[in-house]
Amino acid sequence: MNEEVLDRLRSGVIKGDEQAVRLTTQEAMAKNVDPIEIIEKGLIPGITEIGIKFERNEAYLTDMMMSAEAMKAGMDVVLPKIPKDKILKRGAIVLGTVKGDIHEIGKNILSVLLTAAGFDVLDVGCDVPASAFAQKAEEVGALIIGASALMTTTLPGQKDILDYLNFIGKRSKYHVLIGGGPTTPQWAKEIGADDYAETAAEGVKLALRELDERRKETT
Amino acid sequence: MITYLDVLKGIHTGRICSERDFDLRTFAPKLKELLKAHDIKYDPENPVPADDGLADDLWNAAMDFYCNVGTYCLDTERIVQFDENDIAQTLKTAPREFTFGEGKQRKLLTQRRPEDRAPPWCFLGAGGAAVSSEENLLRLVQGYASIPMINSLTSPALTTVDGMRIVGGSPLEIYGAIRAIGLARQALSRAGKPGLPIMNCISTASSAIATIAASQPQFGLRPSDGWLCGTLAEMKVDYGVLSKGAYLLSWGANVCSETAPVLGGYAGGPEGTALVNAAYSILGTVIQKASYQLSFPIHSNFQCNTARNTLWAISVSGQGIARNASLPVFMLGYTASGPMTEMVLYETAAWVITAVASGTHIEAEGVCKATHVDHFTPMEPGFAAEVAYAATGIKRSFANELVKTLLSKYEDKIKDAPIGKRFGECYDMTTGKPSEDYLRLYSKIKKELEDMGLEFKY
Repeated sequence: MNEEVLDRLRSGVIKGDEQAVRLTTQEAMAKNVDPIEIIEKGLIPGITEIGIKFERNEAYLTDMMMSAEAMKAGMDVVLPKIPKDKILKRGAIVLGTVKGDIHEIGKNILSVLLTAAGFDVLDVGCDVPASAFAQKAEEVGALIIGASALMTTTLPGQKDILDYLNFIGKRSKYHVLIGGGPTTPQWAKEIGADDYAETAAEGVKLALRELDERRKETT
Repeated sequence: MITYLDVLKGIHTGRICSERDFDLRTFAPKLKELLKAHDIKYDPENPVPADDGLADDLWNAAMDFYCNVGTYCLDTERIVQFDENDIAQTLKTAPREFTFGEGKQRKLLTQRRPEDRAPPWCFLGAGGAAVSSEENLLRLVQGYASIPMINSLTSPALTTVDGMRIVGGSPLEIYGAIRAIGLARQALSRAGKPGLPIMNCISTASSAIATIAASQPQFGLRPSDGWLCGTLAEMKVDYGVLSKGAYLLSWGANVCSETAPVLGGYAGGPEGTALVNAAYSILGTVIQKASYQLSFPIHSNFQCNTARNTLWAISVSGQGIARNASLPVFMLGYTASGPMTEMVLYETAAWVITAVASGTHIEAEGVCKATHVDHFTPMEPGFAAEVAYAATGIKRSFANELVKTLLSKYEDKIKDAPIGKRFGECYDMTTGKPSEDYLRLYSKIKKELEDMGLEFKY
């Protein structure tokens, strides 16, 4: 019985059907399906599946964004019913495109893939000053700050974030990941970033690796 | 006819819509609907299809798409949309010929057709990639200008001014943009081609303010050059790009509609990327009043456009535009690999043959994804121009076979492509001549192409 409704949830997320996922989540709650089960066996497998399809070129950015919206619609129904200490979160990541740069496709792809991987993604948008990355990271207790730049002349915006974190004495608190067309491993090394991702999929792998390392440090 | 002032009015009176709703509720569903309705399907076996029906279907779908979706303005959060008849009338009455350059280098640009016997316009250089020094910029531009087939320059971008790193949007960007223009003009004069148009003005400027400031004639630019006015993915503009247009059109200068649909992004797969690319041609005429479209469909994972599916998108959209639009279109190639590798020459040959047989002009090229500073030389655009002339007039079916053979030589290496050598490592910086090793490699790959049946003119 539960399996059937969880299947519909998975399928609704994959299809990006926001309305169907909202109603199915309400239906599942009315049938007393465990809210944690709704998330872990319905919503998350759906968003994970669309992430896999994206990596195989079977789904694209808008499919993933619609799936993420559908998942959020379900989460909005179910989260108020779960005690905060029972919500398993991988951690928060602040993502944005640096000051002076308004390109955001790569950042948006990474945002959905990270959401699919279970991270709590705080997207600060594009043309964002260094201080805003740091302030948002402080506000949400982020583990990672991801900064994208798509133009040679906006690359210094990534260095500005590192400079700002140093200035406020918080550099060691955050893992800073950079990416975007003109970025290279050499540039990451030059400015002292912690990681460089050439693709969104690599960004997710690096974020998961960092999370694992942090967990090892705390256990 | 839709005027530029109609557009500027439209961005303040069009339908209010959030960007997310535009992407997910307007753009994406209409794209899917029209791809299905027009039965546009990617065929990996034929990266260069010889199918006029497919090209025309794609164009018709792009018209339908543009009329329904419109153009989104990020600053006003409104959709600029016009009546289908007004769009059709604007396309019909738009200019079809544009003049670039001065003196002996002055030349008329018009649209080509698939399998056209007229050679493409060779817009050669660095594709805006970054150089580490002013000396490298001078030497590179002199080298590009010395390529016999060159019709216009695509200049590299400076990264520093007197050792200070250029920051986009900062006052230093204005200094850098002015400096880069002066250096490019100086190098063109050294090569004996002072009238050669620079058609990627201004590669060192990213903001509208730096573009407009450095475009003042006293710094060396002329209305017969060409200015890149980049749209934003997908089907979006902002005050910056429209402000550049307001200035340039008032000056009578050539506006370039720069469009880069992302395969894997909002445009989806190769079919959607091709359709959106064709729709951008309409946007270029209706919204930007452009003199040419510079297009580079790009792969979201590989950051190049020499993969099989991006070549298909280049070919089908190029054919659709060439057969139906008034706006001349250039395809800009981005290779995954870098200088002095066999792969960069294979990739270059593949995208150039695709573009030329499909009816477009070429901008060559963004070497090594245009991401590695100094990882490009005049040899790659020189090779592109030679291939372009050799591919002029060939049948699409033959181009298809050539491209498939070339793909078999490199497509499995795209993900981990070699970055090759820096400019200074494969050129003599005193004489400006390529190394013997690079010349030998160049001749070897050229011979391979000859053995495949491509007849070089020079």
